[in-house]
Order: sequence, then C-alpha cells, then structure tokens
Amino acid sequence: MTISKLLAPGTRHAIPLVLFLLVGFAAPLLAVIGFSFVPARSFSLWQNWGLGNYIEIFNSTSYLSFLWSLGLAAITVLVLAVICYPIAYGLARVFGKYSTLVTLLFTIPLFVSENVRLYGWVLFFIKNGVLLGTLKSWFGIEPESWLFTNGIIVWGMVYVYLPFMLFPMTLGVSMVPDQTRDAAFDLGATRWQVFKEVELPLSMPGIMIGFLLSFVLAVGAIAEAKVLGGQQIIPISHDIEIAFTYAQNWPLGAALSVLLMLVVGTLVLLVLRRFDLDAILGRR
Amino acid sequence: MSSFKQSRRNFMQNSALMAAAFATGGVAGLRPAFADRSKELNILCWEGYNSAQVLDPFRESSGATIKAESLTNDPTMINRLRAGETNVWDLINVNNPWARKKMFPEKLITPLDRAKMEPYFDKMAPAFKAPYKWAMDDSGAQLLGMAQRYGPYSFVVNTDKVSRDAAEDQGWDLWNDSANDKKYGILESDDWNVFNICCIAGFDPFKVHTDEEVAKFTETANKVFKGAKVVGDIATMNQALVSGEINFHMTGGTYSASPARADGTAAIRGITPKKGPMEGGKGGISWIEITSVVNNPDISPLAVQFLEYVQDPKVAHTVAFAEGTFNPVAQMGNPECFSLFTKEELDAIQYDSLEEEMARSVEYDIVPDYDKLLDVMTAAKRAASGG
Repeated sequence: MTISKLLAPGTRHAIPLVLFLLVGFAAPLLAVIGFSFVPARSFSLWQNWGLGNYIEIFNSTSYLSFLWSLGLAAITVLVLAVICYPIAYGLARVFGKYSTLVTLLFTIPLFVSENVRLYGWVLFFIKNGVLLGTLKSWFGIEPESWLFTNGIIVWGMVYVYLPFMLFPMTLGVSMVPDQTRDAAFDLGATRWQVFKEVELPLSMPGIMIGFLLSFVLAVGAIAEAKVLGGQQIIPISHDIEIAFTYAQNWPLGAALSVLLMLVVGTLVLLVLRRFDLDAILGRR
Repeated sequence: MSSFKQSRRNFMQNSALMAAAFATGGVAGLRPAFADRSKELNILCWEGYNSAQVLDPFRESSGATIKAESLTNDPTMINRLRAGETNVWDLINVNNPWARKKMFPEKLITPLDRAKMEPYFDKMAPAFKAPYKWAMDDSGAQLLGMAQRYGPYSFVVNTDKVSRDAAEDQGWDLWNDSANDKKYGILESDDWNVFNICCIAGFDPFKVHTDEEVAKFTETANKVFKGAKVVGDIATMNQALVSGEINFHMTGGTYSASPARADGTAAIRGITPKKGPMEGGKGGISWIEITSVVNNPDISPLAVQFLEYVQDPKVAHTVAFAEGTFNPVAQMGNPECFSLFTKEELDAIQYDSLEEEMARSVEYDIVPDYDKLLDVMTAAKRAASGG
C-alpha cells in the first residue's frame, strides 16, 4: 500500500508545511530545551543531561530579573490600556475621514528601527539635549535629567508597544454595532452604563488580543532598559543575552529561556482560560 | 528524457532532507568538501576590519568575495571556533593572550611562515620587533599571528570635570570615593569590567584569586554597579560624557574615547593611572590585537595575502581610522605609514601620551577564574537593578 492511499490528500499536501515548521520552528525550540539540560558552560548537546542549570537559577537572584520583566510588562500594558482606549474609540467612531491619517501617524514610525527611535529619545531627554537644553536656554531652569531612570524605561516601552495595543483595540471597538449602543440609550442607559455594559464587553476580543500581544512582547523587551534606562534595570531577556555572550554559558541561557517561556506561556494560558477568545469572538 | 526518474514525492522527500541538512549544518554543511576557495575569504574580527574602506580595495584587487563579521568580545569569537566554525572562517582577529594561550594549544589556528612574515614586524614600532611575545607560541618557535591595532584601555574622563592629573593620581580609587556615586558610567564590556573591578578592589586581575579576594570583589562589584548612573555602549558613554550626565566611565581608553575626540571633544580623554595593584605597581591595562589564520581544513589562499595587504602603510592607516573606533597601529613605527597621519588624527588617538600610557600598563591577559568573577559581577548588576 502506498503512502498516497494511507494519507488523505489534505494531510499529504500539508506535509511540506509541517516539515518546514518542524525544521524551522520546532527544531530550534527543541535545541534550546535540550541545551538547558546539558552541563553549564558546555557547547554540545550529547552529554550527561541533568537539572544543574535549573538548580543554579533557583539558587541565584535570577528571580529579580523575572520580576522586573513581568512587572514592567504589566505596568506597560496597564498604561497602554488607558492611553489606547480613547484613541481607539476616536479612530473607530470620531475621527471619520481623518482616521487614516491618524493611523498613518502611528504606523510610520514602525518603518524606523526600534533602536534608532530609542536613540532619538536619548537625544531628546539627555542633559543639555532637546528638552532640557531648550528649558535651560529659554526659561533658565535646569531640572534633573530623566534619562537612565526607571520611569523612562516604562515611557520607552509604552512608546514602542503602543501600536500593538492600539490596532487590535481599534478593531475591537469598531466591532460594537451602532444599533446595540442606540438600543441601550433608548432603553434609558446612562453614558457610563453604555460603556460598562455594552461597549466594553463587546470590544473585549480586541482589547484582550491587544493585552496579550503587548504583554508577551513587553516581557521580552530589552532595548528600552538598555538604551533609555542605561541598564538601571536588568530584565530577564538581558540576563539571557549575558549568558549567551559574555558568560558563554549557553546551557544557563537556554534554561532561563525555557523558564521564561513557561512563565509567559502559563500566564497567557490562564488568561485565555478566563477569557475564551473563541467564545468572545462568537465562534461558539 | 527518462534519466530524470524522480517522482514528485521523491522530490518532496529530497527537498525535506535538503532543508533538514541546511538547518542542521548551515551553509557549511552543504559545501562540498574542499571546494575551490581561491576567490573567497571569511574574517571574524573586531569592527574596522569589516569596513568597506579596508575590504573594498582588497576585493577589487583579488576579485574575491570577502565576508567579515565583527563581534565585540574575544571569548564569543573563540567559542565560535570551538563550536565547530573552524571550517567557516579563514582569519580571526582577537586580543593578545588568546592566540598563544588558547587557540594554538587547542589547534584552532595554524602557524604562519616566519621567514615570510617576520620582516613585517621589523618595520613596526620598536615594542613589536620580532619575535614579538604575543605573536609567538609558548616555545617561541611558531609565529601565530600579525600585530596591528593596540592601545591603553583603563578608563575615560571628561577633563573639564576631573583633570587629567587628578585622574591619573587617584586612579581606580575614583570608584572607591562615594562622593562620585551617580557621576560615572560603566561601558558594557563585561570581560574588561571584571579586570577593572579587581583593580578597584585592589588586587591583580590576572591570577587565581583567594576566597578573601572573591569576597572583596563581590563587595566592590555591588558598590560599583549601585553607584553607576548608566551602563551602556561606547556611543552612550561618549554622549553621556559630552552632555554632562556623567564625569567619567570605566573600561575605556583610546579605543572608546577616539570617536568623541575625532569629533572635536578634546576634553574626553583616556586615562592610564600612574599606579595600581598589578605587576610592578602598574595601574593600566593595554590590548594588542593579533590576527591569526584559522585551522580551516579548506583554508582560503587569500588568508595570508590579506595579512600582508593590511601591512601596507596606506592600508594600515585606513585600518587605524576605519569606521567605528580609531586606534594606533604598530605599523606607525614605519615613517612611511606615520607620515600619513594628520595632526588631528594623532590627537584623536592621544599619540602625545601613547608611549607613557603603554609603559604604565600591563598587557591584557587571561583571568584564570574569569567565569566565577563574571557570575559574581552579573549578580551584582542584577542586584543594583532599580537604582
């Protein structure tokens, strides 16, 4: 019996793609997982596997970096939610023909590399730079520089991840049918009730996707803390980078990466269980 | 027509196999053993040798495809060879101790023809006359590489804030003075930062350290990272110095200060302390790059040609002022090469004090317990998180 008789045509035609995914996606991931079990500071997968790297991580202060990454990502997502909802509402309902222009203003910076944009902010915020230099020469005031502080890291993350929250959210808000809103008003709901009972729940799919997307990206952020924060905070992604470069400890870096994937994966799954995306998207 | 007997399914299977081979072995895995490499050269180097200014004339004259990848720390480059990339690279350019102490004993590089290459050393500055220690193996019989860029590398100050004399006198104690907290930066160069923290703690970095010294190192690393205003790359350090965010930064010297100096900010200056805890009471550390031929089973014949090409006075001058950072080159010992440097260029690389700074520095060497100290320093960096 030939393979063509064993497998349905759909499965057969999916084989190239499955192979491509196995080689391009699963294999590197498996290699990282494999490396996390080999002895520290070694470069070959084929040796005695053990849990040494994980034990080392649990005995170290690595948890600080995990907490910083998760904390910064959580703050970023909250700030983004507050900033993006009004803009998303505007894009979907208020700006009308100017929506395209506003959307373009938010997307054009994406064509410039993140690092270049962050270095631009350094020149803006640095002592005697665009902001402080102008304040000094025009008004004679010299406030302390904000560069290389924790606050500026959050600023940078909010700035970089804004589109990833804004556009799913805009989609969410635009999914709310006008009729439901009108019906609520007709039935005597206040503006607040319409927002709370109608608009927010109905735009939740977009909001949730925005939350998840910006959170997952922000947990892996590294450039903001490095460039704007002057490494005043060492997020977990930076710890991983140090392990793979200066420390030449690939197994430790791999174990940190696996733990990060587990932590983020668990959090995302928990959220997805609480908010069933399929259900809120109306597929079931 | 019937010679092509491959069915579509076979083709798919073969494609998948090819893809798998490609993914696991990289490009090198597909390269037939001992292909003609006369028109191909791969260089693993610090930035500068990968610049178009240096490579383009060689590309034109040889008609070859030249790939150069630049990295900014030695251990990573050497581990690339250890991880099996000896069949990819033809030349490797790293600092002094690695060729002699690690790469040659581990058979990662091959010796050069002494009769052919040593005459070039005789044209270099006097300190590099053949047989030059870092270019030779332990026995002194084999020539392992060619010298070119070098420089003192301790720390950098803005002399408008801290005078050169004060910085040279106070030396590493600048970091022991709590009045300087939040007034300094740290260049992200972790291997060198390990050396510097040893110096601040008051002992020689290039030896095995006692438990007491490791404890002192831990305490010093915590203090130094807690007090740092910024940790970042060379551009960040220079910008922070120029803008007044910081007054000085550690790990630095001609290599890191020269771009700012060339840009007209003469107040930014690499400093070599007058005294310190290293051999002979020296307080500075210097580096000398050695470029070696990789032990590639299928080595490009252009490898040695390239080493000769960069010895040319004009090319050596280009290497000194290639994009990125600017550095003195050993070939400046040849008047024909030296005459190509303008006054501004000499000023950018602090040529006025080069000799005395090199004399006050020990040469960068391998720290035997580097891994342990680096882990301590990484933890200190993490503990200082959040200010």
